[in-house]
Amino acid sequence: MTAAIDVQNLVKSFGRTTALDGLDLAVRPGEVHGFLGPNGAGKSTTIRVLLGLLRADSGRARVLGSDPWDDAVRLHRRLAYVPGDVELWPNLTGGEAIDLFARLRNDTEPVRRNELCERFDLDPTKKGRTYSKGNRQKVALIAALASEVELLLLDEPTSGLDPLMEVVFQECVREAREAGRTVLLSSHILAQVEELADRVSIIRQGRIVETGSLTELRHLSRTSVRAVTTRPPDVLATLPGVHGLHSENGQVRFEVDGDQLPSVVRELGELGVHGLTAHPPTLEQLLLRHYGDEPAARREGTAR
Amino acid sequence: MTTMRGATPASPRQGSSPRPSPRFDAFAGTGALLRFMVRRDRVRLPAWTIGLSLLMAYFATALETLAKTPEDLEGLTAFSESPAGALLGGPGFGFDALTIEKFLVGQYGLYLLVGAGLMGILTVTRHTRAEERAGRTELVRAYVAGRHAPLTAALLLTALMAVTVAALITAVLSGRGYDAVGSLLFGAGVGSSALVFAGAAAITNQVTEYPRAAAGMSGVVLGAAFMLRGLGDMAATQGFGPSWLVWLSPIGWSQQTAPYVLDRWWPLVASLLCTAATAATAYALSTRRDLAAGLLPPRPGPPHAARWLRGPLSLAFRLQRAGLIGWSAALVVAGIGYGSFTQPLLDGFEDAPEDLVAVLGGAQDMLAGYLGLMGLMMALIVGVFAVLAVQSLRAEEADGRTEPVLAAAVSRPAWLGAHLAVTGLAVPWLLLVAGAGTGIGAAASTGDPSLIGELVVGHLAHTPAVWLVLALAALLYAAAPPSLPAVWAVLGHAALVAFFATVLDIPGVAVRLSPFEHIGAYPSEGVNVLAGLVLTALATLIATAATACFRRRDLATAV
Repeated sequence: MTAAIDVQNLVKSFGRTTALDGLDLAVRPGEVHGFLGPNGAGKSTTIRVLLGLLRADSGRARVLGSDPWDDAVRLHRRLAYVPGDVELWPNLTGGEAIDLFARLRNDTEPVRRNELCERFDLDPTKKGRTYSKGNRQKVALIAALASEVELLLLDEPTSGLDPLMEVVFQECVREAREAGRTVLLSSHILAQVEELADRVSIIRQGRIVETGSLTELRHLSRTSVRAVTTRPPDVLATLPGVHGLHSENGQVRFEVDGDQLPSVVRELGELGVHGLTAHPPTLEQLLLRHYGDEPAARREGTAR
Repeated sequence: MTTMRGATPASPRQGSSPRPSPRFDAFAGTGALLRFMVRRDRVRLPAWTIGLSLLMAYFATALETLAKTPEDLEGLTAFSESPAGALLGGPGFGFDALTIEKFLVGQYGLYLLVGAGLMGILTVTRHTRAEERAGRTELVRAYVAGRHAPLTAALLLTALMAVTVAALITAVLSGRGYDAVGSLLFGAGVGSSALVFAGAAAITNQVTEYPRAAAGMSGVVLGAAFMLRGLGDMAATQGFGPSWLVWLSPIGWSQQTAPYVLDRWWPLVASLLCTAATAATAYALSTRRDLAAGLLPPRPGPPHAARWLRGPLSLAFRLQRAGLIGWSAALVVAGIGYGSFTQPLLDGFEDAPEDLVAVLGGAQDMLAGYLGLMGLMMALIVGVFAVLAVQSLRAEEADGRTEPVLAAAVSRPAWLGAHLAVTGLAVPWLLLVAGAGTGIGAAASTGDPSLIGELVVGHLAHTPAVWLVLALAALLYAAAPPSLPAVWAVLGHAALVAFFATVLDIPGVAVRLSPFEHIGAYPSEGVNVLAGLVLTALATLIATAATACFRRRDLATAV
């Protein structure tokens, strides 16, 4: 079985900046592959190389078995792309843009277009210049999701969408996977990728630092817990999977591995818990913990 | 972007009025914005002002070298005193007792006035609508910057540039020993031109949401001002006709100061009043619209794309369509306007002294010369259209609209080729409508319908030369987008050669470099078909090279 995307040792520099520094990426057919990384890690550059819009300095990239630079046109009939920042023609309506993108890919009239416009609550009669960022994003999403392609390249596709639309988007990606399509979903939000992805690759400074299924990456996925207990919480520190316990004035903070969560929750009950918040770690926390990254990427990462 | 340090001059003041009045709140932050704009334009401001004064210095030097004796100078006036000379020069004050400086401001001053007008238009657009369109004004206005602050600061910046260019030109002219008052007056006239068209741009920037459309509308105003004074000056040369038209044109006001001859200051009062009135109108209009919006509300469009919109070629056509309609209309109107002056021109020659007509090659040849010159001028204007079309491609790419098209099943040569094909076909179309417009004007004026055919042929004959300019622009864009502006040098050189080759004694090699000098200005010269074919082949070759080059480089993408 040929990989949907097969990238080996990809290098790409812009002047003195090295955007991709020996990147390897393997996406299997039919999977939703999460492509995680902080802003500026090289996600968009990778996707643009995969589209043949940028030419790699060295390394090998194969998309659906073809070279993306040499076979761009034939390849693009079989894939659809949603950029993270969609720009539309100011005097074309959203509906015109959706139709145009489909026809540029030689699609026949996409059947699901109107259905998707309704689900995403998009008015296709408005001109490109009058759309907000979220609505421009919807136009590109509808154009991509309505097409019968084998591969979807989604580069932070939900930036600017509200939570309701995020849910619609997740449904659509699941439907795409059920229809047998391959999805490369780039994001800087761990939770979004956890929700959808079969496998995940984490990119940092132009290299893949982790790749595998979510279970394989379980060690990366810890829940941060903050609780108020009536009895002293020191016993928690002895439980397996609990890290970085810190207690003060009856309030306790710690992180717990995903698979140890049941026993910890049980123990918290015993301690007479009367206040509890738990949230998954952000990507930045993960990278900070595992690779000692500077928190430079935090600004945008924690915005949602 | 640089941070706006000190953008808070609206802090509550001490003394009798503890709060600034709401009247002045609207202007809060103007000073900080102005300093910031000067900082942003630290290269652009000297480039414009010094560039314009260097152009003046070049004209002066060339003229002094060329006309060493009074007889040489008299020889030059033959063209300048003809209607065509008045059209491309000015009213020609004091040409009966000619001096270098009178001829300098009378014949070449016009181009300084147009240049200053462009400077005003582009400066105001760059700092108001372009910033607003890019979303940066929103950020600035969210700080303590009043509603009118960006426009006020942009107008003040233009005023600063106008004063600078006026001072520099005064220095250049009086430095050559010309009369100080006349030099100062001409400098002031150039500065006034910048101010008036900045005022016009202040209004057009309220009307439309798009910086390019705003600059384009102001450009139409500038073009109309050029044409009105041209028609008025032609009428004045002949001693009859609507010579009062010059008083409708801001360029005319600056020219009517008659530096070194009458030294009148009062026409500039009209310029200043007009600037004040347009600025006041712009302020009033700006309060009637939302930030980032134009005056006209957006209308809904079709929910589905038209059936024919289905590939790179139809997309290229769809994107260029609106511009093409505007260009076609403008060229027809301009053509009819200039064409309708053909009969007055002929009458002028009948009244002219025999020897003058003989020098110009007889009345019939003079007609052909005028018509040929019209074709050449229109071809240069269509050349501007071609370069702007390639510039808009660069903007498409830089703004990220090319990326999703190329991410669909569209190859790079197909995308670039489609746009070049549409622009390439638009070139003969625009020359055709310009030629037909001029022809209709000329035919109506003389009662000779055969002029329509002659003018259409004369205009269309320039198609290969414009194609070559288009192909060169495409090659520069395809190879390295930032190099694209270099193509303006080709057009600028061609314009200089077309209008001043004889007067400025430009050497033959430099003349032949211009693509517009090979086909011939029909009907005064024959059409050189071979030259046309060679230029077409060259253009095709360069355009093919462009599509190949575009295949090889990275797409410019937003990071």
